[in-house]
Amino acid sequence: MLLGGLQAVPASAATRPAASPDYWFAGTRVIWSKPQKRGDELAIANDDAGLGRFLARLGAIISYDPGQRYAVITSGDRRTISFAVGDARYTVAGVTQTAPFAPYVAGRSVYLPFSALAKALYVSLVADGSATVLQPQIGGLDIKVENKVTQVTFRSASPPKFKIVSDPSDPHLAIQFSGVGSTLEKDRHIGGSAEVHGMTIRTGGTARNPTTTVIFDAMSGTSHVAMTPQTQNEIAIGFAFKGVAMAGTPLGASAPAVAQAMPNPTRESAGPSTNEYARVGAEVVPPDPAIPPPALSAAALVTAVEAIPDGQTLNVRIGVTGPVSYEWHRLPDNRWYVDLKNATLGVPARDEQPNNMAASSLRIRQLSTAPDPVVRIALSLASQRQVQLLPSDGGFTIAVGALDNLDAQRVGSGKVVGGSIVAAATPAGGDMWSPPVTAAPSAPVYMPTNPKLIVIDPGHGGSDSGAARNGLVEKDIALDVSKRLRAVLIARGWQVKMTRETDVDVYAPNDSAHDELQARCDVANTAGARMFISVHVNSFTSSSLNGSTTYYYKPSDQALGDAIHRSMSASLNTTDKGLRKEDFYVIKHTLMPAALVETAFLSNVEDAKLLRSPAFLQRMAVSIADGIGSYAAKVPAGNYSSGT
Amino acid sequence: MSQARGPRRASRPVAKRSNVPLVLVAAVALAAIAAFGIWRYLNVRGTAADTITVYYCKTDGATLVPWKVTLGMPHDAVSIALFAANQVIAGPPSGTDAIRFPQGTVVRAVRVSGSKATVDLTGAIAKPQEGSFGESAQFKALVWTLTGIRGIDSVQILIAGSRVATLPGGHLELDQPLARSNW
Repeated sequence: MLLGGLQAVPASAATRPAASPDYWFAGTRVIWSKPQKRGDELAIANDDAGLGRFLARLGAIISYDPGQRYAVITSGDRRTISFAVGDARYTVAGVTQTAPFAPYVAGRSVYLPFSALAKALYVSLVADGSATVLQPQIGGLDIKVENKVTQVTFRSASPPKFKIVSDPSDPHLAIQFSGVGSTLEKDRHIGGSAEVHGMTIRTGGTARNPTTTVIFDAMSGTSHVAMTPQTQNEIAIGFAFKGVAMAGTPLGASAPAVAQAMPNPTRESAGPSTNEYARVGAEVVPPDPAIPPPALSAAALVTAVEAIPDGQTLNVRIGVTGPVSYEWHRLPDNRWYVDLKNATLGVPARDEQPNNMAASSLRIRQLSTAPDPVVRIALSLASQRQVQLLPSDGGFTIAVGALDNLDAQRVGSGKVVGGSIVAAATPAGGDMWSPPVTAAPSAPVYMPTNPKLIVIDPGHGGSDSGAARNGLVEKDIALDVSKRLRAVLIARGWQVKMTRETDVDVYAPNDSAHDELQARCDVANTAGARMFISVHVNSFTSSSLNGSTTYYYKPSDQALGDAIHRSMSASLNTTDKGLRKEDFYVIKHTLMPAALVETAFLSNVEDAKLLRSPAFLQRMAVSIADGIGSYAAKVPAGNYSSGT
Repeated sequence: MSQARGPRRASRPVAKRSNVPLVLVAAVALAAIAAFGIWRYLNVRGTAADTITVYYCKTDGATLVPWKVTLGMPHDAVSIALFAANQVIAGPPSGTDAIRFPQGTVVRAVRVSGSKATVDLTGAIAKPQEGSFGESAQFKALVWTLTGIRGIDSVQILIAGSRVATLPGGHLELDQPLARSNW
């Protein structure tokens, strides 16, 4: 009780509900949904709709979870403001201040001292008759003198707008912000700057329409640009003598211009550039060498799926008409699946959580359709449970045992024919029908069933465009490079299978990340490929980053990643961003040596130029193929441990 | 008489002296227990420093930079984790060379269970992402920061309340708890 009282400090008798006070912001009256009064101070709940609208206009975000003691607000210029229940002290960007009263909990809401919050967000409460105007302020200033450039950054409560009000010939640049006041000191000397000696700040306008004018004491012979700000609530202006390079947009070249701090960072649509790019990717490539067709010609029909949970065990009975061949896989993360080849699903697909301790999920779906129809039954096992396939009336049963099998094999195959099961191999003590491979329990050796096969995964596709900038779309470039890579590899004697050959989702449009990415892994795992190569194009919010990166996940994949990356670095003129280990899904859940290549940054102007060049894309493909060849020469098939 | 009163006089004061200290000792013990309970509540995992170390990743995508952030008043692990997660999302001071979470990312909730922190993110982070480069660096900074809090070893990420394989259009696997050893 005592501790509970500390956690949820109740509203005291001095707290009372209040009629919505007459507050105005950005020209409209603020409608508070459940304001309270704490003495003369306004207390606003974290989930008050009026506060939500107010914060949204400022680009601020509040984080509070009922039962916790902190409410943290991140301002539009990315300062954190933290309030604690029961404590009048609060911090703004690490500096402790004192509020008129301590935040308190009422129901599932935390009530905050609004005046303190507004001040921390650079908003002043200005009386206007009987009303109170919430007036945004310029409240922060940074001055940086570096490399013969003086950069002055203003931070405002909300995204600022300004115009130039000085004569273009006047070196004393003057800019006027509209809709904001200022809490900055009115006269500011800038020490150490040869370009700007100081500035004068004047406020004007009315409570509801304030203006702030800044006059820079810039030296004759200087030019000024609007520099890229870090947040939407900032304006950054750079000054330098003519002849000194500055990154930014020139200001005041002609008539006064209205500028906004930073454009809303939205993704560019594909548009005409996509079409233009698509032409590059439409070249003729050799046909994909087919994986051997299924041995059984008439498709079997799955007529029933019945899950029978029993505490620690699970039986899944599968009814199937006609003979069917199967292949099962056990993945390192305790997922297990069996593919019924040349089979169609005659019952609805299922995705469910059986009520038992053996497996957390059961999924049945049509993995692929004619001409190679495959039905997949997948289980997420609770641990490394023993799994057996047992014959049963009209089909077979997947039996998940209560015990783990630490020596479990990872792959097996066989046929269900006439109520019996003919396994390809039956290892002693392990899952039934495992192939005759030797494997250490802790680091199983991956043996590709097709040592000449490489699976190429063009990143993204269909409903997932990936990154899009500078008129380029990641999914299109990834497919282009992948097709070129396929052609090079086939010419060198490899067989190649692509996870996608056109602009499609591999699993289904608008599917989950899990389904989509696992489907790509499944292509390689099911085919028993020698290697898996995923091709991507990078992007970043800042256009300054460029270069090529190669990723691996499993330690044993470092050699493949290294071979590819060395080859790319040697033949491409992109910045080398290195070989890196990352938990990327597709290189983690593939059983064979796997690498993910980020070819270049389409968000960078120079890299984007390269990515538009068919010659560059061809060099990229050849260099990846060279790396694959180099790795294959060093690491024979079967000499690969998939252990992580 | 004196012999008769003597023992009575002697016994009464002794009885009074022995009761008063007992009550005092009991009161002190109760107060100590209560104080310890409050201290335990406010310092669930024993973290009582005035600052926490928050990491950000430089734009080389590899270098993690620690910076000290003054902690607010509550010092229990969940509060510190919430505070730390918000600091990572906000990023270092403006003008710092850093890879930042997309603006508009919201920390919806933070839980701590055993040695695992669960961070529920929503907002801009739940929208299609741009490239693997920033994605990896963002979560690396978040995981390093939270696992710097005493007692937290791993971080489970939720997006809008759900476990997901990756971010929309993303690359980094998120459906398993992340630890420093992931990088």
